[in-house]
Amino acid sequence: MTEGAVARAPARFERPGMGGFIAWVCMLALVIASLRGVGFSPGRFVEGLPAMAAFAANLFPPSTERLAPILAALAETFMMAVAGTAIGATLSLPLAVLAVRRFSPHASVALAVRGLISLFRTVPDLVWALFFVVTVGLGPFAGTLALVVDTIGFCGRFFAEAMEEADRGPQEALAALGAGRSAIVVSAVLPAAVPTMIGTTLFSLEKATRSSVVLGLVGAGGIGMELEVAMSFFNYPEAATIILAIFALVLAVEQASQALRLRIIA
Amino acid sequence: MTAVVLDGAATRPAAASTAGPAEIAADGLVKRFGRTAVLDGVSLSVRRGERVALIGANGAGKSTLLRCLVRLVEPDEGHTLLLGEPVGRLGRRALTRLRRRVGFVFQRHNLVPRQSVLTNVVHGALGRAGLLAVHQAVAPAALRAEAVACLDRVGLAALARQRADTLSGGQSQRVAIARALMQRPEVMLADEPVASLDPAAGEEVMALFATLTRQAGVTLLFTTHTMTHAIAYADRVVGLRGGRIVLDAPAHPGLAPVLERFFE
Repeated sequence: MTEGAVARAPARFERPGMGGFIAWVCMLALVIASLRGVGFSPGRFVEGLPAMAAFAANLFPPSTERLAPILAALAETFMMAVAGTAIGATLSLPLAVLAVRRFSPHASVALAVRGLISLFRTVPDLVWALFFVVTVGLGPFAGTLALVVDTIGFCGRFFAEAMEEADRGPQEALAALGAGRSAIVVSAVLPAAVPTMIGTTLFSLEKATRSSVVLGLVGAGGIGMELEVAMSFFNYPEAATIILAIFALVLAVEQASQALRLRIIA
Repeated sequence: MTAVVLDGAATRPAAASTAGPAEIAADGLVKRFGRTAVLDGVSLSVRRGERVALIGANGAGKSTLLRCLVRLVEPDEGHTLLLGEPVGRLGRRALTRLRRRVGFVFQRHNLVPRQSVLTNVVHGALGRAGLLAVHQAVAPAALRAEAVACLDRVGLAALARQRADTLSGGQSQRVAIARALMQRPEVMLADEPVASLDPAAGEEVMALFATLTRQAGVTLLFTTHTMTHAIAYADRVVGLRGGRIVLDAPAHPGLAPVLERFFE
């Protein structure tokens, strides 16, 4: 290799332009300001470690006295997640089709549906749970309704993106042979989007399982209510049992969903 | 009729091409992408039952011309009559109805990958059967039988249940041809139907395609880079260069040296 060739080789790293440099500085300043704003202090964290250890010690050994009602509440939590995800994902499908401009009957319809899906996604599930507790009363039905709305917010967006990213070739071929819009969606778009949609639904089930724990804290059913009661009465060994049960459920759902996803994508 | 070759200038179609009823008639088609005119005043007429090969180098405007004929690409200027219908003036529904009568075979076959071969062929009836043709499982028995018959014609009935994304390139293109036959088209447009295949498979598929379209008596307009295909399977060869028609001649072996100039 000649020295000339070495000299002509491009630089390993491009020098950032003035705009890029300023953007990096601004981002760094924002992070530093945020850390100061929240009073981030490693020292205080280290000082608090003995208190954390004392709390953790109170959790052990976990109590098995009320194992049966805890497992029943855990089952209820899982059923809320399954029902909420199933209904939410099903309702997401037509909404996602309408949210894609190319398949929507009108641009305003696509915009309105996108807005609705965004609203469902941006309002926290805890707020939806409070809303439905007021509507249908305490219990798992309110929690399930909150999960339905949350799932639509999540699945609606990703289903629509999967449809938008579907290969245009088969769609063009079916359009060329005189297929209508709905026939193209059913014949070419949905088959292409199905793996992503199933993956998204399984992610949604994992998310709903975690969420359904928190929803119980506002009286929307499931094991969260048991956790709330145990913590309120300082019954830490029972709280430990509940936390371990939740951990086992979430882990099981994640493992099962990952195995299913791999199988479907393959 | 002798070859009409004009370098750099548009030409009217050769006299024989305008005799008899024209099923495809383009007049002064212009299509620009940005500042580049991919089609620059193309006029072309194809009679019923005629088989015409469109040749030209990459970027000459062959694919754009085919797409403009059925408005998969909207032309900027010019008029097209397809099966007697003024394509440019048709509303969405009327255009969809017209497209049902026109088969289109793509270079990349454009099958639906996760569906079976049979479902892909049944899709050919989407225009006339609507949602009954979205999947072989919901299709009426008559449609399924017709689809199997179309697969038989391309020699792939045994693969009816196989997924389309497991087929070889040649098999995929045969399925695409079966899908087009399922449409019962009156006109067939084919955009380099064998360009993605190896020479042996390309030869085989092109011969099959030509035979089947001849048997069905459909008007055929296909683009190709292969001079031997243009000469062997077309009645007429039309050459495009820089978005203009510069050749319009009957296909015969003596045309080979002229065609070679398009790829120099």
